[in-house]
Amino acid sequence: MTGIFDDVYGEMATDISEIILSQEAIQERVAELGKAISKDYARSNPLLVGVLKGVVFFMADLLRSITIPVEVDFIAISSYSPETRGQGFVRLVKDLEIPIQGRHILFIEDVIDTGLTLNYILNNLRARQPASLEVCVLFDKAERRLIDIPIKYKGFDLPDRFVVGYGLDHREKYRNLPFVGLLKPEVFQSGNKG
Amino acid sequence: MSLPSNKKKLEFAHPSEEAFALILDYYGIEWQYEPRTFPLEWDENKQVLVAFAPDFYLPQQDLYIELTTLRPQLSSHKNRKIRRLKELYPEVNIKLFKRREMHTMMVKYGLDSEAERIRGSEAQEKNG
Repeated sequence: MTGIFDDVYGEMATDISEIILSQEAIQERVAELGKAISKDYARSNPLLVGVLKGVVFFMADLLRSITIPVEVDFIAISSYSPETRGQGFVRLVKDLEIPIQGRHILFIEDVIDTGLTLNYILNNLRARQPASLEVCVLFDKAERRLIDIPIKYKGFDLPDRFVVGYGLDHREKYRNLPFVGLLKPEVFQSGNKG
Repeated sequence: MSLPSNKKKLEFAHPSEEAFALILDYYGIEWQYEPRTFPLEWDENKQVLVAFAPDFYLPQQDLYIELTTLRPQLSSHKNRKIRRLKELYPEVNIKLFKRREMHTMMVKYGLDSEAERIRGSEAQEKNG
């Protein structure tokens, strides 16, 4: 279904029913975001913060499109899962290495859907008293939003469908596809953990 | 699966509601279960004929949430109630978290049995 990608990405591509954002469209939009960020944050030495793991693809491309000096750091948080259900709360599993008090922070996210995760992270960062804290997201699934999150930079609106690629995964798979595609229902409905 | 002790006595109308509540708890989102019932229709004696109690209220977001695991063609009754609620109470923020959104959320968090239950569910709408 994905044409020439079938030969390159094999079984991953065959699980995709349709490409909804091409590699070229993503790269073009990321370059536009980088240009806007370079203009808005000139002379403010911003710190770009991302949450592992899905953001690494977007972060790497975005950083290379930004033309001003920036720093980068990552955090990681525990995810809700069958193993953690009913047992405590979300927690940081990797903290920032760079202090952010008084810094201009641009939080970089690959996708926002309900906003539950991002709400937790922003509250955590806000408590550290940065000079400013803004959000840049590549993919926005606004239909699924439960917590309202102000977004300063946005790449694309995505439909409320099960999409993978360019950092978006299903059970840790498909992140490395260079495009965003719809996952075939039989893949995510099978309960296959492979 | 267990809720915090202060909420253990809650009886949810559907297992998906408890799964949803546990996710909110995990991410530190304050919630209340069916805290308010909105009258929607009255008879000539001003007796309430139809009312609607959204499943959840998130105080910090001032947002009511109604979950549905019904297939779209079976959820028109609930949709009508929500439309009517918005007409009568325009100041109230309410979101219908649809079957597909619920299913996607359960898949996202690896809750296979809940996802399967939602996918297999038909017309288990409760009153309200």
